[in-house]
Amino acid sequence: MSGWLLRRTASAIATALAAAAVLFVLVHYLPGDPLAAVLRDRPATPDVLAALRQRWCVDCSLPHSFARYFGALAHGDLGPSPSENRPVAMVLAEHLGPTLLLGALTLLIDFTVGLALGLWAALRPQSRAARMVSALSIAGYAIPAFVVGMILVWLFAVTLGWLPPGAIADPLLPADAPTMTVLFDRLRHLILPLATMVIATIAVPLRQQRAAVLAVAAEPWVLAARARGVPPLAVAWRHCWRPALTPVVTLLGLWLPMLVAGTVFVESVFAWPGLGSLIATATEDHDVPLVMGAGLLLIVMVQLGSLIADLLYRVVDPAQRAA
Amino acid sequence: MQMTRVLSLLTLLPLATATLTAQHPGGTVVYASGQEPTLPLPVIGQGQGNADVADQLFLRLAVLTPPYRTAGDNALKPMLASAWHRVDARTIDFTIDPRARWQDGVPVTAHDVVFTWSLETNPAVNSDQATLEPIASVAETGPRTVRVTFKRPFSEQLYLFAFGMQPLPAHLLERVRPDSIATSAFAQHPVGDGPFRFERRVPGQLVELRADSTFFLGKPAIGRVLFTYIADATARLNQLLTGQTDVMDNVAPTMADQIQAHADLRFVTAPSSTLIYALFNTRSSTDTAAPNPRLADPRVREALLLALDRDALARSAFGQAARVPEAAQSQLWGWITTGTTVGVKQDVARARALLAAAGWRAGADGTLARNGVPLALTLIYPSTSGARHTIAVAAQQMWQAVGVHVELEPAAFDAYQARRHSGQWDIDLAAVMQDASPATLVESWSCAAAHQAASSNVARWCDPEFDRLLHAATTAPDPVPAWRAVLARMTSQHPAIFLAAPVNLVAVNTRYDNVAVLPVRQWLALWQWRVRPGAELARDR
Repeated sequence: MSGWLLRRTASAIATALAAAAVLFVLVHYLPGDPLAAVLRDRPATPDVLAALRQRWCVDCSLPHSFARYFGALAHGDLGPSPSENRPVAMVLAEHLGPTLLLGALTLLIDFTVGLALGLWAALRPQSRAARMVSALSIAGYAIPAFVVGMILVWLFAVTLGWLPPGAIADPLLPADAPTMTVLFDRLRHLILPLATMVIATIAVPLRQQRAAVLAVAAEPWVLAARARGVPPLAVAWRHCWRPALTPVVTLLGLWLPMLVAGTVFVESVFAWPGLGSLIATATEDHDVPLVMGAGLLLIVMVQLGSLIADLLYRVVDPAQRAA
Repeated sequence: MQMTRVLSLLTLLPLATATLTAQHPGGTVVYASGQEPTLPLPVIGQGQGNADVADQLFLRLAVLTPPYRTAGDNALKPMLASAWHRVDARTIDFTIDPRARWQDGVPVTAHDVVFTWSLETNPAVNSDQATLEPIASVAETGPRTVRVTFKRPFSEQLYLFAFGMQPLPAHLLERVRPDSIATSAFAQHPVGDGPFRFERRVPGQLVELRADSTFFLGKPAIGRVLFTYIADATARLNQLLTGQTDVMDNVAPTMADQIQAHADLRFVTAPSSTLIYALFNTRSSTDTAAPNPRLADPRVREALLLALDRDALARSAFGQAARVPEAAQSQLWGWITTGTTVGVKQDVARARALLAAAGWRAGADGTLARNGVPLALTLIYPSTSGARHTIAVAAQQMWQAVGVHVELEPAAFDAYQARRHSGQWDIDLAAVMQDASPATLVESWSCAAAHQAASSNVARWCDPEFDRLLHAATTAPDPVPAWRAVLARMTSQHPAIFLAAPVNLVAVNTRYDNVAVLPVRQWLALWQWRVRPGAELARDR
């Protein structure tokens, strides 16, 4: 196991480095003025312009820029952000937490409630309730997340006034407020964005699980178990659910990067101070170091997701462990 | 039943938090900014969000007052500088108010001004060196006196230095390397000399400021100010409508009705620095060294102007309060032309006649053509701008009515910027935020800028007579007629169609009195707002 894990980790690092190199080349050739984020349409004297071009390596060749960037990266330095005038790592760190909070809770609900509903729907394929759940989840998936968000804000915040329309916390809450108050406040601010994310995404694990369980339910060993008189719940749990997990684990691996990048529109609607909105703003500002830093973070998340998925395969599938 | 209980609990949660909200005599202002204030330091921090907070923390030597005239030595109101006097045509002496203190108790001195000047002129810290070019030197002449020497006489010397200078505390920053100030402890918790003290910053969320009761110009009437960060305009509107925030600026006309219907909100307007115009590229879009075969002819440019109902275009995008300027002039420069301009109205018949005189005849499909070449033009604008899209679509129809085919080519902002600098376009539907000084026209409209590689004169427009008038206006003893001549010359040459000079529509909670929103740095008078007695909310008490 440890040998496998080492090989797999090394492979993930190599893949991440290759992807980072490709990303760097793509970003290097992005259209637009590389100094736009620094100058912001202000005039610059020729000598200042020359100094800026040198500082931001505007005229550097691709190999030179590449060596410079990855040399600094080897020391953990993602460089400064021209639009923020602060280190990229500092900017990313400030926005990572809120995104992980929203993304992780979405994933948690999708892969607990969603899987449970998928299993339940598969075991009652003809029931009206199961078909209703399936249809509603598809409707949620079909409507763009920002539209769902705007409807929820209009209804629960603007019209009914039950919940805040956005932000991660009440700005009026004192810095020294008791922990429970802070938690309640966070919960109130989380409800609408989280509900939006879940409505927009839960259909995928739900339907994936439903389809996988339905496929497994027709297998001979399930029929044999039923014929032996094994109780329906035991059949569902022991004989259907576990073998049907493999495609869901693949899905989980693919979805981990969504924690970071998949929330752009929802963050925008709810003024959620996460990475999604930061990436959108950095792209708009042509802040190349920040775009590159965020891209690297995504690459790491993809590799991490893939690694976790491979680990989970080995947990749910004995054949993988044997291999 | 269970659902009802859950919802009841959720509605009670705000009460639980409200009771814990700190008390703030004098009241609270919660403002949502579209840009996050991450580094609210003059010179060091960039962008509107940082500048708005820095304006509350760090005083300028002097500020503009209505009508926001920038020329002359009596145009500004003293702030950190208690007085100034002119030594000669190139020299002004400033006196720092002896009552001024940094919030750690140390007096503000001339040395702070000179130290900040050294940062401003350091290209590693400040890339905007072109603006400072006219200043030759800044020197201490005493503990509280500073002598500023300019390279040449011009009428905006006072504005350039006194309004632009926001001193930083030398005693706290002199030992920090200039390029490290942005990551220093000071940047995390700035110490200023303004009406508010920095209280805290929550990354991605807010900056909180508290009134400085020892502020030498008088205790602020507002107890605290919260600058929250909400990038999306619709989200900012929702925050305002639900009472989470108190102020929203740059309200789009499409949002105005919802705000107007709200009993707790009212509108305040201020002149805006925004100018929208359709810029003509008089160089060929395929060979930028050659003249544009369609637009180099001034009759065609004038015809394109006459074909448009600019009042309707401005209203459709910016509401009733927008004005239609005759030259590159936002509402900030009202002191130059108020009451003097006569607008050019739509005249389709004359537009057709001008095009006919220029040799353009109706083709088979209704589009004008000359020697078999149709009068077809490309118009670029950023696809992210709803206002410009509205104008582009309506203008396209108006031009089509006189036989000019205009192809709309919206693009993502980056791609749009790259294209406008490449010169590969015929008409650029541009938007700029102008400085308070009309002298900044040189950056986008002078021959000198036309010859610079990275200038904002992307059309490479060059009119030596305009340049001559511009130069004369900057040194004119009576600047108003001189600037009028500059703008009149621009109007006569049709380098662009000037479409709209909107106002800054600001929605404010009705509980505030003495509300003033200034046009250049809009929150400079925030410390003088106050909450009307009896109208306080929980967060004000």
